[in-house]
Amino acid sequence: MPATRLRTQRRFLRAPAAVLTIVVIAAALTGCGSGGGERITVYSGRNAELIGPLLERFARRTGISVDVRYGESADLALLLGEERDRSPADVFISQSPGAMGYVDGRRLLRRLPDRILDRVPARFRARDGDWVGLSGRVRVLVYNRDRLTVSQLPVSVLDLTDPRWRGRVGIAPTNASFQDFVTALRTLIGEDRTRRWLEGLRANDVRTYANNVAIVEAVGRGEVDLGLVNHYYNERAKAENPGVRSENHLFPAGDPGTLILVTAAGVLRTASNPAAAERLVAFLLSRGAQEFFAAETFEYPLAAGVDPAVEDLPPLADIAAPDVAFDALGDELARTRRLIRRAGLEG
Amino acid sequence: MTGRRAPRSLAALGVAVGLAFALPFGSLVVRTAADPAAFTRRLGSEELVGPLLRTVTLAGLSSLGAAVLGVAVAWCLVRTDVPARRVLGVAAALPLVLPSFVAAFAWISVFAEGGLLQELLGFGRSWRLRGLGPAVVILTLISYPYVYLPVAARLAGLPRSVEESARALGAGPVRVFATVVLPGIRSAVAAGTLLVFLYGVSEFGAVSLLRYDTLTLRIFATRLLEPEAARVMSLVLGVLALVVVAAERRVAARARRSEPVAAGGPPAVARLRFGRAPVVAFLVGVVAVALVVPVAVLARWAARGLAGGRDLLGRGAGLGELAGPTAQTVGLAVVSAAAAVAVVLPVAYLTRRFRARTGEVANLFVVAGFALPGLVLALSLVTLTLRAPLLDALYQTVPLLVFAYVVHFGAQALRAGEVAVEAVPERLREAARSLGAGRLRRFATVEVPLMAPMLAAGAGLVLLSVAKELPATLLLAPIGVDTLAVRIWSAAAEGFFARAGLAGLVLVAVSGLLTWWVTIRRVEHLRG
Repeated sequence: MPATRLRTQRRFLRAPAAVLTIVVIAAALTGCGSGGGERITVYSGRNAELIGPLLERFARRTGISVDVRYGESADLALLLGEERDRSPADVFISQSPGAMGYVDGRRLLRRLPDRILDRVPARFRARDGDWVGLSGRVRVLVYNRDRLTVSQLPVSVLDLTDPRWRGRVGIAPTNASFQDFVTALRTLIGEDRTRRWLEGLRANDVRTYANNVAIVEAVGRGEVDLGLVNHYYNERAKAENPGVRSENHLFPAGDPGTLILVTAAGVLRTASNPAAAERLVAFLLSRGAQEFFAAETFEYPLAAGVDPAVEDLPPLADIAAPDVAFDALGDELARTRRLIRRAGLEG
Repeated sequence: MTGRRAPRSLAALGVAVGLAFALPFGSLVVRTAADPAAFTRRLGSEELVGPLLRTVTLAGLSSLGAAVLGVAVAWCLVRTDVPARRVLGVAAALPLVLPSFVAAFAWISVFAEGGLLQELLGFGRSWRLRGLGPAVVILTLISYPYVYLPVAARLAGLPRSVEESARALGAGPVRVFATVVLPGIRSAVAAGTLLVFLYGVSEFGAVSLLRYDTLTLRIFATRLLEPEAARVMSLVLGVLALVVVAAERRVAARARRSEPVAAGGPPAVARLRFGRAPVVAFLVGVVAVALVVPVAVLARWAARGLAGGRDLLGRGAGLGELAGPTAQTVGLAVVSAAAAVAVVLPVAYLTRRFRARTGEVANLFVVAGFALPGLVLALSLVTLTLRAPLLDALYQTVPLLVFAYVVHFGAQALRAGEVAVEAVPERLREAARSLGAGRLRRFATVEVPLMAPMLAAGAGLVLLSVAKELPATLLLAPIGVDTLAVRIWSAAAEGFFARAGLAGLVLVAVSGLLTWWVTIRRVEHLRG
């Protein structure tokens, strides 16, 4: 065997060892570097791009260091469910009430003090006081402005089963926000009508997508003319590409198609520093943070009397929110999912 | 070669490795066994049977496609004198590093109505990519490197002497390939194809965008709302993997074993004359579709961000902000690849050299670890670490994360490792023994150098898989660990395409360098 190859071989073994050393040292340094002082751990289902700056601001203002684990809300809820009493988390921020309901249903949350709860209207917080809404995303109809004008759009979300829209509508049936919408629909128009509406969509050759981003893309390029999404995504698409052909449209106030879905925060029973954890939740409901949600994520602020920054949004009071028993949310969502699946829309 | 008993220490090591790999699957079994009635109820439900059949169809067809494509690419790159071989060799491995949801999103947006293709051509038809056909094509394109890398390493190690003799005796190139080359690479092809199958079984990102309703899709849809259903379906995936692996072993055991390498000089290289243009066109075509199309979409996102006039790249300075995630991605990928190769090598020895039953059982679990979705595997490791005394200190540390990667991707290193062990000729080991070399010395100075290209191919596969891994990283990494894949997901999930594009380009570039460093240059070295 040539000597050069043996030397190569030894180098091959040495390099990973060197990298490992560097990783271990780096990990040790980051672990020890910030020692001392108060710190809290946040599990955030809300994306780093959308809430990171706020958490940094909180850390700067209060001197409390914030460690954040980001992930999908559902996955973090499952993680909390596995960790149970061993969780390092102090605060859970969920992008949807469903994931928060899962955590609450396993009795992992501690009740928030009234001074925090009272900042938010009762319909945007848990009845048992275990979590509170931070901001609200609005469900909208996104449409392609080359294909349709505002006056041609359907008057109600329930009209999307009209043959006129055959093959022209996109939905994301496995996405949490669509499921939350259908849950609300069940409470607003009843189980039977909801089922018929879903079956009507299916019969109308509705197009299914994986998520909101994919729907907005598809509407923007004209693959479908209409889509049911959250407000935020088209604003984002416009920022990325000002020439995009998709526009948001709100159904008139009172229509079940216009609906608020809340992002929620709760403090865990395992919190080693509940006072600091509650301070973070209170901070997220402060005027500055609520203005951030209005301006940066195009949402409805829920507290501190801050108005939405996006034009044409109707007043918060005029918009429906899913009125379901939050303790039973897990079961409700499971029923919603079965309804969607039986209508043949899940695939 | 057979009949010798494995050294006791090796057998013990193999059992330990097998047990470690069996942990996630074992915990699924235990938890499901707690409620057997629910299990049997779910088992017959239409919600399970249809998706299961679709999973098998998708994984089967894409592994066939990847086997053909991977062998063809490997042969063209190693056995012909195509130009720009090194660049093409690295580029052909890189589709594996594309997170599948990025690749699928890119292809969908290129071919869609009003998509990039129509935009570029100014006319033309469009394809709405969804369902089985596109899912098979896209999975094939992402996963053929599982076949290409080991087969290329094997092709480079096959002696030229036999092929030259065959040729001298008048056999044409097709006949030489079929009767001399193919038997030599058969085990590498089978190894890679099995990996593609298991990858297809656990794939989520692409099938979800393409709306092909497989079991993984159902696991994700039910994971929060009906966790018990998700658990039963995960268990079914695991059992499917075990059955397929076991079946493959029976077939492989009956087949003739592959020829070991010999010091027969560098492999035969076909001088292409008239055939050169089509071979080049084929390779460029594969790389163009599998790599350039998605990378072009990433580049377009990034360019829009860089040129947009607004600060689409966000708070940090774009590329500079990615230095940390890049270093961490490289560190985790290299360490996990090395660890995976080291950990599975004892199992490879047990199965291939000593034909030990312990090795076969360990092998089953190592390989099946790849078929469980990363999320399921990560969650069961959480439970296990937190409930086991002493182990809980490891929770959310780098060692546990590396362990998760090794359990998830060890199969990729094992299959290559087995081919490597087979490739060491008995007579060389005998020669070393007769010269008085001890077991460890023989291993270090004779066997490892001979196995190096195959081991490196396995390491390369693990490395690319770790670089793009998401669910286990998100749940198990210590807080503060931030990889390029996490950055891509985080940005793309909320429509920050410019940021996702930039992180994606860095991931592809860095992976290219690593693939060269770990794998391709070794193949090139052998080729001379």
